[in-house]
Amino acid sequence: MTMKQIQSPVLRVENLAISYETRYGDVEAVRDVSFDIQRATTFGVVGESGCGKSTVAFGIVDFLGSNGKIVGGSIKFQARELVGRTQKELRTLRGDQIAMVYQDPMQALNPSVTIGDQLAEVLTVHRDAPKAEAWQKSIDMLERVYMPDASNVMERYAHQISGGQQQRVVIAMALLNNPALLIMDEPTTALDVTVEAVVLDLIEDLKRDFDTAILYITHNLGVVARVCNYVGVMYAGELVEKGPIEAIFDDPQHPYTQGLMRCVPKLGTTKESSLLYPIRGRVPAPKDRPKGACIFAPRCDYATERCRTEAPLLREIKNGHGARCFYSEQIDPRAWRPPQGLVPELAAVTEEADREPILKIKSLRTYYEQESRSVLSLVGMGEKLYVKAVDGVSIEVPRGKTLGVVGESGCGKSTLAKTIIGLEAPTAGQAEFLGFDITVPVSKRDLALIQELQMVFQNPDSTMNPSYTVGHQIGRPLRRFKTVPSGQVRSEVMRLLNAVRLDGSYYKRLPRQLSGGEKQRVGIARAFASRPDLVLCDEPVSALDVSVQAAVLNLLLEMQQQSGITMLFIAHDLSVVRFFSDYVAVMYLGHIFEAGPAEAIYAPPYHPYTEALLSAVPIPDPKAEQKHIRLEGTVPSALHPPSGCPFHTRCPRRGMLPDGGQICEQEVPPWRHNTEGHRIFCHIPLEDLRQMEPVVTVGQG
Amino acid sequence: MALSEQTIPQKMVRPSRWRRIWERVSILFVSKTAMIGLVIVLFWVLVAILAPLLTPFSPTEQDYEAQNQGPSAKHFLGTDSLGRDIWSRLIYGARVVLVVLPVSENFWLPGGTALWGVVLGLLVGSTLGLMGGYLGGWVDEVVMRLLDAMMSFPVILLYMIIIAAVGASATNVVLAIAIVGTPGIARLVRSLALDIRTRDYIRAAEIRGENSLYIMFVEILPNARGPIIIDAMLRVGYAIFAMGTLGFLGLGLPPPSPDWGSMVAKGRQFILAGSPWAALWPSVAIASLVVGLNLFADGLREESLRYQ
Amino acid sequence: MFVKDYMTRHPVMIEPKMSIIEVEGIMAETKVRHLPVVGAGKRLVGLITRERMRIPPTELGSLNVWEISRFLSNLTVEDVMIKCKDVITVESNVTLEDAAKIMVENKIGCLPVLEGEVVLGIITEIDMLLQLSTLLGGEATGVRVTVRVPDKIGEFAKVTGAIASQGWGIYASGGVPAPKHPGYWDMVVKVRNVPKGDLVAVLEQIEGQEVIDAREC
Repeated sequence: MTMKQIQSPVLRVENLAISYETRYGDVEAVRDVSFDIQRATTFGVVGESGCGKSTVAFGIVDFLGSNGKIVGGSIKFQARELVGRTQKELRTLRGDQIAMVYQDPMQALNPSVTIGDQLAEVLTVHRDAPKAEAWQKSIDMLERVYMPDASNVMERYAHQISGGQQQRVVIAMALLNNPALLIMDEPTTALDVTVEAVVLDLIEDLKRDFDTAILYITHNLGVVARVCNYVGVMYAGELVEKGPIEAIFDDPQHPYTQGLMRCVPKLGTTKESSLLYPIRGRVPAPKDRPKGACIFAPRCDYATERCRTEAPLLREIKNGHGARCFYSEQIDPRAWRPPQGLVPELAAVTEEADREPILKIKSLRTYYEQESRSVLSLVGMGEKLYVKAVDGVSIEVPRGKTLGVVGESGCGKSTLAKTIIGLEAPTAGQAEFLGFDITVPVSKRDLALIQELQMVFQNPDSTMNPSYTVGHQIGRPLRRFKTVPSGQVRSEVMRLLNAVRLDGSYYKRLPRQLSGGEKQRVGIARAFASRPDLVLCDEPVSALDVSVQAAVLNLLLEMQQQSGITMLFIAHDLSVVRFFSDYVAVMYLGHIFEAGPAEAIYAPPYHPYTEALLSAVPIPDPKAEQKHIRLEGTVPSALHPPSGCPFHTRCPRRGMLPDGGQICEQEVPPWRHNTEGHRIFCHIPLEDLRQMEPVVTVGQG
Repeated sequence: MALSEQTIPQKMVRPSRWRRIWERVSILFVSKTAMIGLVIVLFWVLVAILAPLLTPFSPTEQDYEAQNQGPSAKHFLGTDSLGRDIWSRLIYGARVVLVVLPVSENFWLPGGTALWGVVLGLLVGSTLGLMGGYLGGWVDEVVMRLLDAMMSFPVILLYMIIIAAVGASATNVVLAIAIVGTPGIARLVRSLALDIRTRDYIRAAEIRGENSLYIMFVEILPNARGPIIIDAMLRVGYAIFAMGTLGFLGLGLPPPSPDWGSMVAKGRQFILAGSPWAALWPSVAIASLVVGLNLFADGLREESLRYQ
Repeated sequence: MFVKDYMTRHPVMIEPKMSIIEVEGIMAETKVRHLPVVGAGKRLVGLITRERMRIPPTELGSLNVWEISRFLSNLTVEDVMIKCKDVITVESNVTLEDAAKIMVENKIGCLPVLEGEVVLGIITEIDMLLQLSTLLGGEATGVRVTVRVPDKIGEFAKVTGAIASQGWGIYASGGVPAPKHPGYWDMVVKVRNVPKGDLVAVLEQIEGQEVIDAREC
């Protein structure tokens, strides 16, 4: 018996319904959502975009905007009803007891006031505390959130600290008033994986110390598994499943949750266990959500007539674990088999020795010249400063295979892609594609060469020209490169549309009529139109929802298998890369730290940076054991990269070398060659690296 | 930020051409501002086109017995100092501005001086703006400095200098309007191009090896057309106003051409004498047309922003 | 065992201008009997308890039915609460025993925990009772033995030594002066995963001490 069970919840939401007024009438964004949050508990709300999870949060703090309104249900904060109050009443009721942390820390930070002043202001305004005391308390709180050099940071401005540090400041600000409820809306989505890991550790820490109730909103199942005690899964405005975290991951009861689990990329140790199964169909728009039926029925593999004519209620299946489904007890997710055509058949991996690499890069360097502000440089005598975005990269990509390049922001992977494709000119080094030299920018390349090297972009919204139809845009490369005679262009476009699983009606559509996933598919069709030999994919799925992501990745895999195209896949997400790549290269500050076949990267021996990356990735399995290696400090600037090994400022394994790793500062590391093309860029000898334990030990998979 | 798979249901096919045009046009009807503006502008355009049908008098016909009269049954807006019917002069004056451009004795183009001036300005200005915005580097520097130079002249002064230099004829007025309008248009297009060129579809075009001209005119320009069209409409208003001013200063179209500005100039002397009509009606005409165009442009801008 | 670790943080709190009717509703729903009354910045201005909510009949005696309900509906928290200067509070680093002493001496059921003037939490009789139970190992199963030992130095060490020498662990323990037996102390020890008979046999061998109770619970 614990106190928690007898106390009343900090937040109780019952049958909440929120609608927005639009030109076409009222649109229901959230329907029938109920949950409780106790002290010192984190309740996660997880769902894809458009499911209404942020709307629920905004409803609680009354940030719905002029056209949003709560049309039903109740929100009780500390036993006080919030729905139906005036703004003034709400302000007194909430006061400083509810705090919110957003995805973008700059939404909460004032760029023109120092960090210290902003933090102290929270106390001087709300508590009438004297300035000196507020200042000291702020420093204490910054140290509490593990801010290095806290008193120094107090004097700085928001733009002078990194994203991860900004988010820590925002959390510190939120906690200064000791709120009873903390709402976090995707606070780590915009952060790099290693920074995210530190912030997540912090959130767990703080919950313990401050007893705050936390409402954590995210689309990332891995993050949920790491920080939440209870989870609510939302789909199309409704809460479809709710329960304790182990129960939800171990034994999901609702078909949507089960589907989500299947399409989230995992760090499985074999390629088969990493397969992704997308959910067929798409999320219904708010006006297409029937009231008298199960909203998931159109996409559900188990739907019956009853599901289409009767709306299920959220009912308790086991202790504390509920789902909105009639058939939860009868459905066994382990017995699920993918329907025909959902996933491509993976061809067996054939070992073809001596595949001539299609792309050969040796010691490639791309430096950007930094405009120097010194007076000397005006006269032409100043020291030239370079941003060393790509600093000595050598890789080879065998034909027909996929190379995944992984790294965090600032590692140079985008610059590498731009250099290969010709949008940037390299400063030094060699690059050869199909035997041709590609160290020249695209404007100087032969047309025959250009058409063999194409690219798929990250942002679906800007990948298509809004003024032209889909058919026209896919047709353009066909016409330009004369891939087919002009009479056959239209039929070739149709063929490409079908290859990306879009039907012919898309030919005449404009980009604004397409969804994110559809636009990405058109982008893929366009890239593949000229039948290139190599396609560069620059984070093609990071802007997409999880279930759409799975479908697009499967599509790329299928197209690669059918046409034998080689792919260079750039990503920051290690689990996505695992699924997709034959070979992986890990980048940091313009260097490659580890490269080799995919299985070799995800198992020891690791480069210390790879080890840290793998231990930082949030895994969607609360039972998985993961090593807890965290990197100190921030990524050094590419203007002044550290001497010797660029990782020496943060390497957690420096101690394995004599003298605490003095050699790491002085000398550039050698390449250590493990079996089969696996190489590691480190001073630590291979035998020691081989002693490392695997980072992730998953249960029964 | 993740995007979802929400899309318009399958059965929507790209509508027919007439339907599309209607959809675009119907935006106008939603905005009251735009409608009012459109009504005023259409009024003048129609009146100008149908001019001969709307008045028995010629704009140059002088009647010494009916000088400086007020509105009456016969002269519906009154007469000027030379006995010419003001209404006729107004509607024929509208012709040159809005409807017909007399290039030479025997050759004319539809559209009017204001429209042609703005169109020419659009052509030149867009090209300069695209070049500066997309190509960047020293091209941008040169273009910007050129525009700076042009913009540093006060508008009316620039007009005066040009007309004084080349003489006052319809084509020269067109030229003047184009020259004066170019910097503003170029700046607008340049900033639009600067924004658009960061998009991935421009990268995609570059990767295809498309040349700069293609990218500028085929990829970038169509996406900038919204703001450009609205700006152009405003400029037609400015041009009309400028022509009025020029006419007032005596630099308008040579007499006896029914130039609104010069009508005001000539009628000015008689205001205090009790016949303000010769000055009043042309002023009202200029004002109404400019206001109408502004309202129309504003209404469109509001609607296009809301539509997004 | 300090107040700050066992108090309820973020307690349900109310404002002075609230009506009593609303407070009744909150108390009924949350089953909380003590509500701190706070002003701006969570500063304590008073305390409302269940007892305070009982209006003495003498005050109502002169009113008729309609006036009573109007009187009641007009009552605000301010009218009824214990004013701040009369509320007894503690700081968060006070020990549980001291807090208990204060509650007993003043016959009160709860103590708001303050930092300066700001309410950090509240500790109530229920919290105390819960900790009493935890102190003696109430929520775990095992063997609970009460040993009466003379009030001398080293006696308790004999008990713990005997248990440790068998390789067993002490899950919880506590001691009080033996009621009605001056000169003796009653020590309660809870041990897990040990048969009751074995434990009692070991303890009975200690000279001068008596096992007065042993049970499995």
